[in-house]
Amino acid sequence: MSLHATPHPKDTVKWTTVGGVRVPVHLLIPNLPDPFMDIEDYEPDADLMVLNMGPQHPSTHGVLRVKLVLDGEVCVKVTPYLGYLHRGVEKLCEKLSYVQITPIVDKNDYVSPMMNELAINMAFEKLIGAEVPRRARYIRTICAEIQRLGSHLLWLGTFGLDMGGAIGGGGSIFMHTFRERELLLDLFEDLTGCRFHYNTHTVGGNRHDIPAGWAAKATQVLAVISKRCIEYEDFVRGNKVFQARTVGVGIIDPVLAIDLGISGPVLRASGVDVDLRRDQPYAAYDEIAVNVATDPGGDCFSRYVVRVDEMRESIRIATELLAGVPEGPICSLKPVKLPGAVKAKHGQGVYSSIESPRGELGTFVVGNTVRRQSAIPYRCKIRSPSMHLLQLLPYICPGNNISDIIVTLGSLDPIMGEVDR
Amino acid sequence: MSWPTDAATLCQDRFGLEICEAEGPLVSADQALALATALKDELDFRFFVHVVSVHYPEVEAIAADEEKGIDAIIGTPDHTMVHYRLRRLANPNRSTDTFAFRIKVPTGESTPSLSGVWLGADWQEREQYDLVGTVFSGHPDLRRIMMPEDWPGHPLRRDYAIDTSHFPWR
Repeated sequence: MSLHATPHPKDTVKWTTVGGVRVPVHLLIPNLPDPFMDIEDYEPDADLMVLNMGPQHPSTHGVLRVKLVLDGEVCVKVTPYLGYLHRGVEKLCEKLSYVQITPIVDKNDYVSPMMNELAINMAFEKLIGAEVPRRARYIRTICAEIQRLGSHLLWLGTFGLDMGGAIGGGGSIFMHTFRERELLLDLFEDLTGCRFHYNTHTVGGNRHDIPAGWAAKATQVLAVISKRCIEYEDFVRGNKVFQARTVGVGIIDPVLAIDLGISGPVLRASGVDVDLRRDQPYAAYDEIAVNVATDPGGDCFSRYVVRVDEMRESIRIATELLAGVPEGPICSLKPVKLPGAVKAKHGQGVYSSIESPRGELGTFVVGNTVRRQSAIPYRCKIRSPSMHLLQLLPYICPGNNISDIIVTLGSLDPIMGEVDR
Repeated sequence: MSWPTDAATLCQDRFGLEICEAEGPLVSADQALALATALKDELDFRFFVHVVSVHYPEVEAIAADEEKGIDAIIGTPDHTMVHYRLRRLANPNRSTDTFAFRIKVPTGESTPSLSGVWLGADWQEREQYDLVGTVFSGHPDLRRIMMPEDWPGHPLRRDYAIDTSHFPWR
């Protein structure tokens, strides 16, 4: 595999331990900006301007509104405003039965719907006490890894657009990644009948079994994308324009990131070696080794490096699992005829979490103790990683140019459907 | 689920709390800030997972009536239960210990904001205030985050009428 030299050689980094976590020394920022700063306290002679970015700005990846206070081209204070895509999913969950909720949460993180289904059904299974057969756990893991690959492909394409088409001119990396993502959507169409909102996970297992010939087709597609990943690396990593826009931009302090509840590739790109797939195995991850990609750079370039490494790792995991899918049933419960057939056993709060492409995606669900409503959750809360990612903006953006803020925001990869729910 | 022994010992010995095996200890609002600081600074629970408020409307107490076959129901006042969940990332050991505690907040009272201990609690507490109506005292910026600022009521309360239309969508 041809790789250009990375701007962050791993062997020269000094490490220290803060709160039991090994972090790179050079990323620790002593004086963080105050997100609640009164702009009257800023230099009195400065000619400040307030600029609204969003909620219809294309580079905000959805309907995020960011209020910027600018001193010339340099940002002084950042205030994000959410809620433009709030649809009341959690309230809707209090009206629908456990089986009916899966297609609703598909629309939360609309870039990786499989992850939402997996996360919420794992919580329901924990509450109800349903076992998942081994074959279903394999199918879930394969779907999750293919979905992670698709999500990171979409991120890489839109990240190229965020830099004003800096890579290859125009939107060419975007066109490349969308060509490959189409192959993955075709795979999901063969498996579930849907290209985007699958509704394939259910309480106790899956709805759709692997069709004949699907495993061979999927292995072939993954091999194609594995080759294309090398193309992207040649295309992007050594590109001087790409490095000029990303190296040293949007540096995230790992201690601040942990304090803010950041997880996933953004935390790993700050050198913290944490991954729920390895540390707290769910589905079939206890049967396969997961190599966690980390990078000590902490900037936008490191987040690119970590995500591309994760793409390769996803291809490897999915290919290995596809070769050994065990025989057996795909759902432990009988096919549900009535939506009220699946019932909770107690009213205690249960939490379960998975590693989504954006970080820890968790579901906290409380069962209903009233017997007549025991097929409906009492309270359902989705812990979205994207919401925590956006909390970073007031801390990392001050002092940067507007163009760097857009690159930083793109490198975090927030999905507004998941933030607002 | 079993909780980490050092955190359970800290709760029992220093704060005199009883550990619930499923949902963690029930903490009074006065103790919450001291417990949170001890968990973060002494036991390295630095990763903030979530805060969830669950609203429970008032339940009237019913005495048992053997003739009519009615079981006794213990009455509870109108309150919200606030669940906090934390994680310890000790990546050389690759352990991810999780610990949870909850605070019972009667309606009309407030619970201390823990966003000064974990910055990640900031927006989540705002969300719970917006949707469930739990007031977090000492929060630096307790505004609505999801709903419009002039929205009446808190939608995720159990007594919120969702079948009737609301301003401004009538």
